[in-house]
Amino acid sequence: MIRFLKVTGDSLAPEYLAGDFVIVVKVPCIFFTIHEGDIVIFEHPLHGTLIKRVQSINNAAGTAILLGTDENSIDSRNFGAVRLSSINGKVIHHFLRSR
Amino acid sequence: MYKVIAKLDSFVHFEHAKAHCDVPCGIYDPSTAQIAALTVVRMIDLMNDLEGKAPEKKVNFHNSMSRYIAVKEEHAEKAKHEIRVIWGDYIKAQHVEKYPQLTELVHTIMQLGSTTRQSADREAAVKFVDAINEFADIFWQTKGIATKKAQAPYAPALEMVYPDL
Repeated sequence: MIRFLKVTGDSLAPEYLAGDFVIVVKVPCIFFTIHEGDIVIFEHPLHGTLIKRVQSINNAAGTAILLGTDENSIDSRNFGAVRLSSINGKVIHHFLRSR
Repeated sequence: MYKVIAKLDSFVHFEHAKAHCDVPCGIYDPSTAQIAALTVVRMIDLMNDLEGKAPEKKVNFHNSMSRYIAVKEEHAEKAKHEIRVIWGDYIKAQHVEKYPQLTELVHTIMQLGSTTRQSADREAAVKFVDAINEFADIFWQTKGIATKKAQAPYAPALEMVYPDL
């Protein structure tokens, strides 16, 4: 399944800025799996749908460390490792608004 | 292509993916805490001056002394608050990993701040300033900004840490 999402916030700046659009595929699926360095979408119980970069994956524990690039990013540095099962999308295309 | 997607979004309203940040402006600066701690020392100096100048302890003495104590209380708590905000909102695990003394330093600042509220101990107040200066030095290092030491250009003219911009 493919969906479009609009990026809000600048925690992945400068690569991803508020107003950019992304095409996301549902993961896991046959053709797409998550790797370190991927930009992924996941659901956080407090913050809702978030977009971050995969810093590392611990397959044994079934978790991943997800980080933003901005120092004020709310990410695994605040809420710890994220369960892989809560990651439900992987960015496969990025539409940049004019920089 | 972006314009096409944006136009489509104006009709369809795509779901948002939040690249969430804590503070949109990202402004953190320990200088407020440093000035507040300096004010604590200044108030203790004024309290001691007043004690020497007004041995009779009349109404005006109590009025002035109360004001100095109130300002000392307020600024000790302000300094603690500012450090707590930077500690809680800005300092991350990797900062603590790089500067492992941070945890004990912040705890020391909290304790010294309380001591300066509970007493008029000038030595504790100067230690409060020194500890916050040390925190400021580490804070600017995390930003990759060098620091310099200089005497504050106002009483009590203690040596302070400033970003060397």
